[in-house]
Amino acid sequence: MAPVLLLWLAVCLSGTWAVDRGNFKTCDQSAFCKRQRALKPGQSPYRALLETLELTNTRLTLQLINDNNKVRLLLELYRLQGNMTRVKINELKPLKPRYEVPDVLIQEPPTEPMSLLSQDENGVVLSLGAESQRVIVSARPFRLDIMEGREVLMSVNSRGLLAFEHLRMRKDTLFHCSPVLYQAVNEEEEKVEDGMWEETFKSHSDSKPNGPSAVSLDFSLPGVEHVYGIPEHADTLKLKTTDGGDPYRLYNLDVFQYELYNPMALYGAVPVMLAHNAQRTTGIFWLNAAETWVDISSNTAGKTVFGKMLDYVQGSSETPQTDVRWISESGIIDVFVMLGPKPQDVFSQYASLTGTQAFPPLSALAYHQCRWNYNDQEDVQAVDAGFDQHDIPYDFIWLDIEHTDGKRYFTWDPHNYPTPLIYIFLTFFSFIHQQMVAIVDPHIKVDSNYKIHNEIRSRGYYIKNKDGGDYEGWCWPGNAGYPDFTNPEMRAWWASMFAYDQYEGSMENLYTWNDMNEPSVFNGPEVTMHKDAVHGAWEHRDLHNLYGFYVQMATAEGLVQRSGGVERPFVLTRAFFAGSQRYGAVWTGDNAAEWDHLKISIPMCLSLGLVGVSFCGADVGGFFKTPSSELLVRWYQTGAYQPFFRAHAHLDTPRREPWLFGPENTALIREAVRQRYALLPYWYQLFYHAYRTGHPVMRPLWVEYPQDTATFAMDDQFLIGEDLLVHPVTEEGARGITAYLPGKGEVWFDVHTFQKHNGAQNLYVPVTMSSIPVYQRGGSIIPRKIRVRRSSTCMEHDPYTLYVALSPQRTAEGELYIDDGHTFNFNKKEFIHRRLSFANNVLSSINLAPDAQFSTQSWIERILILGASKPSKVTLKTAGECLKCFFMFLYGKIIMLMFPNLDWSRHKRLYKRQTQARRQENWLSHCGTWRRERLRT
Amino acid sequence: MRRHIIMAVVFWSVCVDSRKIRGISLSYKRFYRERKSFLCIDGSKMIPFEQVNDDYCDCEDGSDEPGTAACPGGRFYCSNLGFRPHYIPSSRVNDGICDCCDASDEYNSHAHCQNSCRNLGQRERADVEGQMRTLDEGLRLKQQLIEEGVLLWREKQAQLRDLQQVAEDLQIKLEEHRRRKHEADRLKEQTLKAGDRGHRHQNRTVTSIFQILDSNKDGRITVNEVQAKVAFIQDEERSLSEDEAVALLGGGHEMDLSMFQLTLWDSLRAGDSVKIKGTYGVPASLADEDPNIEAAERDAVREDTDLKKVEEAYETVNMEISDLRNKLTIDYGTDREFLFLNSQCYQLKVYEYTYTLCPFNQVTQKSAVGTEVSLGKWGTWAGTPENQYSRMRYESGEPCWQGPTRNTMVTLTCGTETALRSVKEPSKCQYIVDFQTPVACQPVLKQQGIHSEL
Repeated sequence: MAPVLLLWLAVCLSGTWAVDRGNFKTCDQSAFCKRQRALKPGQSPYRALLETLELTNTRLTLQLINDNNKVRLLLELYRLQGNMTRVKINELKPLKPRYEVPDVLIQEPPTEPMSLLSQDENGVVLSLGAESQRVIVSARPFRLDIMEGREVLMSVNSRGLLAFEHLRMRKDTLFHCSPVLYQAVNEEEEKVEDGMWEETFKSHSDSKPNGPSAVSLDFSLPGVEHVYGIPEHADTLKLKTTDGGDPYRLYNLDVFQYELYNPMALYGAVPVMLAHNAQRTTGIFWLNAAETWVDISSNTAGKTVFGKMLDYVQGSSETPQTDVRWISESGIIDVFVMLGPKPQDVFSQYASLTGTQAFPPLSALAYHQCRWNYNDQEDVQAVDAGFDQHDIPYDFIWLDIEHTDGKRYFTWDPHNYPTPLIYIFLTFFSFIHQQMVAIVDPHIKVDSNYKIHNEIRSRGYYIKNKDGGDYEGWCWPGNAGYPDFTNPEMRAWWASMFAYDQYEGSMENLYTWNDMNEPSVFNGPEVTMHKDAVHGAWEHRDLHNLYGFYVQMATAEGLVQRSGGVERPFVLTRAFFAGSQRYGAVWTGDNAAEWDHLKISIPMCLSLGLVGVSFCGADVGGFFKTPSSELLVRWYQTGAYQPFFRAHAHLDTPRREPWLFGPENTALIREAVRQRYALLPYWYQLFYHAYRTGHPVMRPLWVEYPQDTATFAMDDQFLIGEDLLVHPVTEEGARGITAYLPGKGEVWFDVHTFQKHNGAQNLYVPVTMSSIPVYQRGGSIIPRKIRVRRSSTCMEHDPYTLYVALSPQRTAEGELYIDDGHTFNFNKKEFIHRRLSFANNVLSSINLAPDAQFSTQSWIERILILGASKPSKVTLKTAGECLKCFFMFLYGKIIMLMFPNLDWSRHKRLYKRQTQARRQENWLSHCGTWRRERLRT
Repeated sequence: MRRHIIMAVVFWSVCVDSRKIRGISLSYKRFYRERKSFLCIDGSKMIPFEQVNDDYCDCEDGSDEPGTAACPGGRFYCSNLGFRPHYIPSSRVNDGICDCCDASDEYNSHAHCQNSCRNLGQRERADVEGQMRTLDEGLRLKQQLIEEGVLLWREKQAQLRDLQQVAEDLQIKLEEHRRRKHEADRLKEQTLKAGDRGHRHQNRTVTSIFQILDSNKDGRITVNEVQAKVAFIQDEERSLSEDEAVALLGGGHEMDLSMFQLTLWDSLRAGDSVKIKGTYGVPASLADEDPNIEAAERDAVREDTDLKKVEEAYETVNMEISDLRNKLTIDYGTDREFLFLNSQCYQLKVYEYTYTLCPFNQVTQKSAVGTEVSLGKWGTWAGTPENQYSRMRYESGEPCWQGPTRNTMVTLTCGTETALRSVKEPSKCQYIVDFQTPVACQPVLKQQGIHSEL
């Protein structure tokens, strides 16, 4: 390795093992944040002009006036289908249009009728349709209160922090303008503060041709002590109050060696917050793509548990309340208030706005092996052979930036990855059912011999700098341009670059990874793009947080198009925004091989799941630094139970393929990976569910136990779907963990020992290095494929084993979803989706999609019924035929039913080929008739 | 007799067991005799025989499903006629990937597997034959190198002895020279002491000449005085011009005694250009400067130079000795077969980098632009416990940016020539070099032949 290799890293990034905070702004260093935060709660200068109120069936408009400067705003209020309210505030007559975020909402949200209940000089009361919900619009000062019955669910501008910096002419240049205009502006007596028209951070200056344009609004949440969401932050699941510190910041940044437990911005931003108490869950979606800061304060923060109890006993307690304030640098106020009331309702409401999780190819849910970098093809082959030799399953191997020809994406290093060999290699990979991911970053090397660059330049697709030239910055390839992904033409062109005949060396089993798409600009302010860079009519300032979203959107579209719309794409992104869930997976960026980073992976992915981004993972092992073998094993054990399961490592770290730490650790890692593979049917079904409903795959406990306050701040354990509870071991040298098993009157089964535990208890569990504490909820049925093979594709035709964990009422329910695992044909009703239920000693199944058809060679080979008593006999009923079943009764609590793959074991060899062919049909009819099929115990 | 019975039984079982049990080797056949029931090989369970290979796992040890993927941890026997038979994990049966060259593992899958055992067998036999030839040739060369090594070792020992002899001789010489230098110094000292008078005499001479020139006795010689008293040897008649006088005065217009001693005195003493008018040549008192002193000084200088030369030689020889001793303390293998590698260097160009391995010394990398980086200096043998000479470790090379120092593991493989085969860098700044040489050939390899079931 040449010593110059990491020159850029060396030059551009700090050399210490912690984030260089000085590279990133605090609120005080961000002029608009400082300005807005200087406003304290109090009387709002805004007044609603009730005489301007217009109410059509579905839309209310009303003008607001700022009594200080007489600038008028236009408020729009909508009742949206699915129990949501949309509040939109813009300038009534802005000097020029203000940015409204496009492409994030999947459609113009359908509205519902509203009606005027009453009106007087103080305000109006509107009915929000059903459920006795009303919104009270108070005129002086302006505020909104959303009520249900007599209960206030949420108040807007109750603290008077609505602020709207109207667009204005610059004063020092105004004298050239008409005297009339000058006078008009003069009337406002605006105070000009530092940073309104220009701002400098470190050596970077931000010309602000449009001047101040920030917006801000406050929300009060009575009865709420727990708020969640607004990823991405390396912080606890429950958001903290920000009094006395910086607000949570949402501004997509490439943060080198990020610190934990603080509100600093990271790679992605989803401006969605959930509020929860035992009665209700609500959400706020602040649709704004500019730099955003979120302040949280609470009247109970700082009170001890004892203090709260004292309040309760003395009856003197004020209602707990959380106040939230959003501040954005530009754009408009466009807020979706999601009114729940249940957590699942909020997920559905949000999904109806921004869409659901992309349904990934099944193999993408399996294990991914990555490293910066596998040096050459031989290296990749050796790693593949290592997995083969050590019998550890994997599906994807990843190529980081070094695979390219000098960081020119869409190309291959001519020595290490010559393209003719890449074809041969990928063909070989397709034979052995493995896949590959190659990185494609959105910074394009400025090089007139590079086709991609030449095309983008000649088509004018680059983002422009403030002076109109192509914006250039430093990134991996050196000097680079940044394509304007906000331009739909550019995105269409980019997508076309993934066509097999355009992207040399690509094949069906080559997928894509979008890194550095915040965008990362090594020599830019805060390692990102200058805010005064220009995207057509808009400044980068207006849409910064959307850039990564668009990059992934265009890439995913490219992968769909290259297969003629047949194959599902798989694209991993580092930067994201609301709606990014529609395009693939995200990961938590460049973490480190430290125990705390392992711990934080749980709340980071839980927070993302809450706001729709289910396909989340952290680099297994930690990106920077070198994990001890204990940490590596624990990370595999944790990662195996998180949605996106990929090991990754920095170029400077020693190799850490799973077999490099001695046979014992190899065996531990193998076992963890195998547990993942065995559970793939469950993961797949959950992702199908997430795709259909937007419900998170990896969930905090409170989502399923919304009234159990003990779970509200819990982020060292989590649920997968509703039926598996995971408490990974994340402490060094742990001898035991304390898992909280929720649910009074419920039971949980240890998935390894099948031991039954009661719910609503803290269970101390001794652990060894092989322990991964996982529990199946009594009352659930989970399908597994316990014949673990080399890759998920190899397991396609394998039989299922159903794990039926009985509730104390001796019932259980579950689902089974099967399709081809990789195409969009499920949209053409080519799948099997059945509900399995166990009640009254009968396990039966019903077809959840009777109009769907799919044939599979898989069958059910075994059913384990946990928590049952010994039956006298078991029968299988199929199409009226009644067969006696093999069964075993194990450990005095488990019934195991066995269904050998009868067909071909009963036939002579000559017969087999025919029966093979017939078996497919058999399974088809098998499924079709399963309704009549019963297992009687 | 007993043997006959056993043979008969085996024969019988072979006849009866007409149904081939998939996935087992001949040696396991006895466990799968077709009967009413099957006992799991670990003895844990008895199951009806039709449950063998029925694609459902009954035995904990997986022995009832040798031919299907039903049991976790089971194994499937590929008989691979024409090639090597071997076991694969039974999870690879019917997984759509051809593992056994006889295609027996994919009897019920979409994979279109061809029987490639014959080809593989041929290729492997060719390979093995090639390897055997390489090994034979390698071992022959190795024997030669060992023999050469013995000679080389002797040569080196002889060299060491020679050097030691040279060193001893030099030491004697050194002592002799030291003695002689000491003597010369002593002599010089003596002479100098003796010549002290001469020295004073010389000073007197200088003064007297100065006084001759200093006509007005003011302690300074001026241009006029020079013109009056000094003449060219060649042309006594011609008076010196003012410029010439100034030149003789060292560029000034007058000089005192001390200045005189440094300038004009030298010219007069040399006696090749100017003289005092009325005299001949060099002032008499100068010509007879003490010859003893000069000789003694010359001797002392010569002895000093000689001594330094000898000392240098002695030092060089001693360094060579310690160098050689160090080299000879390195472990060159049981038969000193690696000895010949010492002082050799081998190069390999990998794209823009040229790698150089100088065994027992260092590994370097030179880029196309010419910067050379040390990838490690000779450390230790680092092979397996069975063969510690299979790998060499070179450590403490140039430090990496933000990282540890570069180091290199050299793996030695058997070949007929000695050459670098490949250089890799699996982790940053950790290099792996494949180094081929006949001396890495191990005769044990020869016992591994091809096992084939033909």
